[in-house]
Amino acid sequence: MRLLTHNMLACNVKGVVNGYPLRLEAEVVAERPADFNADFLRHIFARIDWKAFVGAARSLPEEHAVADLPEDAEPSMLASEDFLRRFHHALLELHVEKGALVCPETGRRFAIDKGIPNMLLNEDEV
Amino acid sequence: MHRRYSARGGGCARVLDKLRMKPELPGEGATRVIPADAATGQLPAAGERVESTPEIEKKFVHHVYDAIAPHFSATRFARWPKVAAFLGSLPRGSLVLDAGCGNGKYLGVNADCLFLGCDISAPLVNICASRGHEVLVADAVGLPFRSGYGDAAISVAVLHHLSTEGRRRKAVEELVRVVRRGGHVLITVWAVEQEDQSLLAKWTPLGPKYDEEWVNASASPQPRSPSSALSLESIPEAHEHPTRSRARSSSSLIPLKGIVAEEPAGPRAQSPSLKPIIADTSTAADEKPDGSRVPSPSLIPSKGIIGDAEKPDAPRAEGTEMGLPDDDVEQQEYFVPWHLPYHRAEVGGASAAIASGFAKKDDQKGAVVYNRYYHVFKEGELQRLVAGIEDAVVADQFYDKSNWCIVLQKT
Repeated sequence: MRLLTHNMLACNVKGVVNGYPLRLEAEVVAERPADFNADFLRHIFARIDWKAFVGAARSLPEEHAVADLPEDAEPSMLASEDFLRRFHHALLELHVEKGALVCPETGRRFAIDKGIPNMLLNEDEV
Repeated sequence: MHRRYSARGGGCARVLDKLRMKPELPGEGATRVIPADAATGQLPAAGERVESTPEIEKKFVHHVYDAIAPHFSATRFARWPKVAAFLGSLPRGSLVLDAGCGNGKYLGVNADCLFLGCDISAPLVNICASRGHEVLVADAVGLPFRSGYGDAAISVAVLHHLSTEGRRRKAVEELVRVVRRGGHVLITVWAVEQEDQSLLAKWTPLGPKYDEEWVNASASPQPRSPSSALSLESIPEAHEHPTRSRARSSSSLIPLKGIVAEEPAGPRAQSPSLKPIIADTSTAADEKPDGSRVPSPSLIPSKGIIGDAEKPDAPRAEGTEMGLPDDDVEQQEYFVPWHLPYHRAEVGGASAAIASGFAKKDDQKGAVVYNRYYHVFKEGELQRLVAGIEDAVVADQFYDKSNWCIVLQKT
């Protein structure tokens, strides 16, 4: 699971109002190169919840934790190749292979196994 | 805070008003077609929310795909040109959500876009992940995504596996919800109006018992009597037509996913025109004039039924309008067999499935036969399903290769 996916996901258990962002508990992280697509990065930037993104990136296990992303981001930063590269790396090249996503409101845990979050709800949650 | 829906309320009420007027089918008794209550979204029949998965889908969709996943995937590599063309038409840098991605054959089709797939079948999602795709396990009737994040969404051969009108509509609402304003949603479903009508004879129609045993039943279905229309023993064998069977598949019926080789990309496979057409609920194409007959496949326009939508409604037959039984009414609920070759069978635990009566052996074909639930769509049904969605318009609609297809644009 990429951090882009984490940025999109929310807890949709019945009745949950503040199911975002899911707290990321990453146990195993892999780095895999991805094609650099500046158009995509500039395009998706406006939809990224930056606080959730940076929070997730910094929460990764020590060797993968991202420290070089700014606390806040402005569209003007997209003119910087250096910024785009760091944005690209954190958003698309870090994969959480094992861990969990935790609902901030209910504490409901969604397992991530083999890189796949399981967001299925139980019958009493829909 | 990001993901609450706004799609309930007025829009649903409108579409439900229309549904109340449409001819009722044996498989769509009043309790199911009118899940009523637009205000609350409750399903009075079984007291279930639309998000709650009915037993028939768990057993005859989810479990089956879990059991046949590797074989299904091995036979599902051909891509449908119209879907590929839609994906190819998206602007560079688009984020595409594939809800019900199966084995992921559309993920990554446009190398300039980013894809995220989800499916309710974990075995299928595992196959996608093993191919390097970004995927998760999720239910298309309740997507776990923030609203407005994607640029486009696709639902290819998914809605026909949902067993109530309310669930099908909710799945469409979800697709619209998760894309940004201006974003497009492509939906394809199997049509009643199959180009090869002989295929329907190979499916098992779910008779009136369907309502009693599944729709109106509580969470656990009642035991089925041997005479039940649902009895596995009563399901006729799907004898494959020699000229129709394809070497790469042992399924007797793959109208959408098995046809690609026959139609090379050409003028007809060009990207869908995306001229927005306001979805006018007062003139949406609905019933056929006589409310009953399947049109001859040769008469089905290969492109678009938009012209029909602009015509005033033809008078409907009284009987069907009142929801009275009609011998001519089209059957839409089916079991469609899947033949899992014996040499593939142990992976999915076929022995246990046979022992429990869930699947059966066909020694002649050397296959374990599973049945998949389908609600096949009739002409106009997809338009009706989307008519009440207030924040989307119909950008394109067409019939192609035994499928009804629609492209929505979020407003």
